[in-house]
Amino acid sequence: MGDGSGSNRSNSNKPEWLQQYDLIGKIGEGTYGLVFLARIKSQTNRGKSIAIKKFKQSKDGDGVSPTAIREIMLLREITHENVVKLVNVHINHTDMSLYLAFDYAEHDLYEIIRHHRDKVNQPINQYTVKSLLWQLLNGLNYLHSNWIIHRDLKPSNILVMGEGEEHGFVKIADFGLARIYQAPLKPLSDNGVVVTIWYRAPELLLGAKHYTSAVDMWAVGCIFAELLTLKPLFQGAEVKATPNPFQLDQLDKIFKVLGHPTLEKWPSLANLPHWQQDTQHIQGHKYENANLYSVVHLSPKSPAYDLLSKMLEYDPRKRITAVQALEHEYFKIEPQPGRNALVPCQPGETFVNYPTRPVDTTTDFEGTTSMQPSQPVSSGAAVSGSMAGGHVSNRSVPRPMNVGGMQRIPHQTMQAYNVTSQAGISGGMNPGGIPMQRGVPQQQLRRKDQMSMPGYPPQQKSRRI
Amino acid sequence: MAANFWTSSHYKHLLEQEDVDMVNTLDKEKGITLEDFKLIKMHMANYILKLAQQVKVRQRVVATAVTYMRRVYTRKSMAEYDPRLVAPTCLYLASKAEESTVQARLLAFYIKKLYADDKYRYEIKDILEMEMKILEALNYYLVVYHPYRSLSPLLQDAGLNDLNMTQLTWGLVNDTYKMDLILVHPPHLIALACIYIASVLRDKDTTAWFEELRVDMNVVKNISMEILDFYESNRMFTEERINVALQKLTLRP
Repeated sequence: MGDGSGSNRSNSNKPEWLQQYDLIGKIGEGTYGLVFLARIKSQTNRGKSIAIKKFKQSKDGDGVSPTAIREIMLLREITHENVVKLVNVHINHTDMSLYLAFDYAEHDLYEIIRHHRDKVNQPINQYTVKSLLWQLLNGLNYLHSNWIIHRDLKPSNILVMGEGEEHGFVKIADFGLARIYQAPLKPLSDNGVVVTIWYRAPELLLGAKHYTSAVDMWAVGCIFAELLTLKPLFQGAEVKATPNPFQLDQLDKIFKVLGHPTLEKWPSLANLPHWQQDTQHIQGHKYENANLYSVVHLSPKSPAYDLLSKMLEYDPRKRITAVQALEHEYFKIEPQPGRNALVPCQPGETFVNYPTRPVDTTTDFEGTTSMQPSQPVSSGAAVSGSMAGGHVSNRSVPRPMNVGGMQRIPHQTMQAYNVTSQAGISGGMNPGGIPMQRGVPQQQLRRKDQMSMPGYPPQQKSRRI
Repeated sequence: MAANFWTSSHYKHLLEQEDVDMVNTLDKEKGITLEDFKLIKMHMANYILKLAQQVKVRQRVVATAVTYMRRVYTRKSMAEYDPRLVAPTCLYLASKAEESTVQARLLAFYIKKLYADDKYRYEIKDILEMEMKILEALNYYLVVYHPYRSLSPLLQDAGLNDLNMTQLTWGLVNDTYKMDLILVHPPHLIALACIYIASVLRDKDTTAWFEELRVDMNVVKNISMEILDFYESNRMFTEERINVALQKLTLRP
């Protein structure tokens, strides 16, 4: 939005810090805020893309959300090329909102996987899978060696940089649930926090009282498998009772693929509350044959399978660590992992052009629901009209997305945004010429699941406990 | 970073004593002396502790809150950031950072209970507004390392981990937050100074043990002296002197 164009109500009380950015539009939405795409105006870094995560003031009148506090707290201390970079924090005192500015990442694993599954209809090439995995482990090793557990790793939280200096670099994002584990950590559920169950380690599903870094490695295993097959490995149906229901179906999905856990292989299993109590008779389920290799279409003798099975080791104490995984044979054989995960360095390899994130250019920083579908034309014109030379282009094509771990924009609100028909201007932004549907709810079923498993609970809930 | 103090923002931002002892120009204009400045910060550390006991949070939250408060006043004036609001708000923010969130409502309630004086009277809204200003003043650096963590491994290593020594050193560490030590010295050196004092008080010979540690004993001894000086002068810190100092803040220059 141009300064002084004055057509937008937000300009009247636009805080000073905001003037250093050109707002492009909204790129994500979550239970606790919105994410915007903006570009830096200043000479140094001019045009650099920034993702700005806005935290809403919590409804229960308890100030800055603890999630935001802890995310800032951690991100302010860590720097690693495979961890998302917090470039700035801003506060708007008038409406008491808090903004985190990150280096913008064009892609994430959720979108990359979905693109392969639904659009190009072919697996992700081996070089890319291996490079993504290696960088993910590299970032995770950094976190773990600094005693930080992420606790909510999932494809949508693993970002990948678009074209530029760091093209194809993996960035671990969303540290709202991350913890320093110098002191034993209570289960997230004790704080009323709900995270998606598909990537949840079996010890947590069985009621383990404390987190270890092994829970992140389990999630990495699930993500590895998903990169290979383009399908979530353990797609359990979530039980949504309060406050920490036993996730029978999720465990059942795991047992079916990995075989039943045994006390011989996992001695501390006996101490896990849900296993001990066994109210739903999980001990009685008998899935004898592990068939992980056939599910992921790998030879049981391949290094890839060996690494995957070590990540999906039941006993958290035996599960491979990030540093061990980085040393695994899989990363030493061809193709070797590279720094640009999206573009193989070997000539002759084909690579995929991934679509850019859709940007909803009708929402401004105050971008509240009131601005939404009812009057997209007027507000949209005000914002997009002042944007420099059409570089938004086909970004206005709605595509549910995520950045910095935000929930995707619900497609209902997206559908109205076809009005900003700038799709034709671009050319450059979608070099692969990948046809993108406009406003069609894609992956509706999957998204429904996602929306009903918000990464974060209503803030009141976590605070009441 | 959590494992490595030496790469943390806490370490990078340690200050020189003279920077900590700089009274803000605005406060100077109000007649606040260095003595007043220290006195008010000590009083506010006590206030934070009292509030924390009411809302029942761990010592670590108190220590973090006091550190925030002290950091704020290396950058901001007491004239603009009223200590009587900054203190409870630091506790509020620290409770979130240390994962034991206390409701603003509860704090506002206990503020009233602890102080009848109108000058202490702040409502939820004030705390929430100040929370953001404090975040800003801290430049969003929120991780704080405390001497507590190194205390028990050090005591154990020195063979002094009996109940008596543990309690004594823990109490000494608590008292170091009445000073600005946490802004100036690495926490493990503060812990060592407390062990040093405790071993002198209890007549334990730790000379050999200290010699084996690869730390600058001069720094440890200087910290110890500072702590002992504080105990010495502590008697003179009367309620009345604190009130006089706080009064200056409210007066027009």
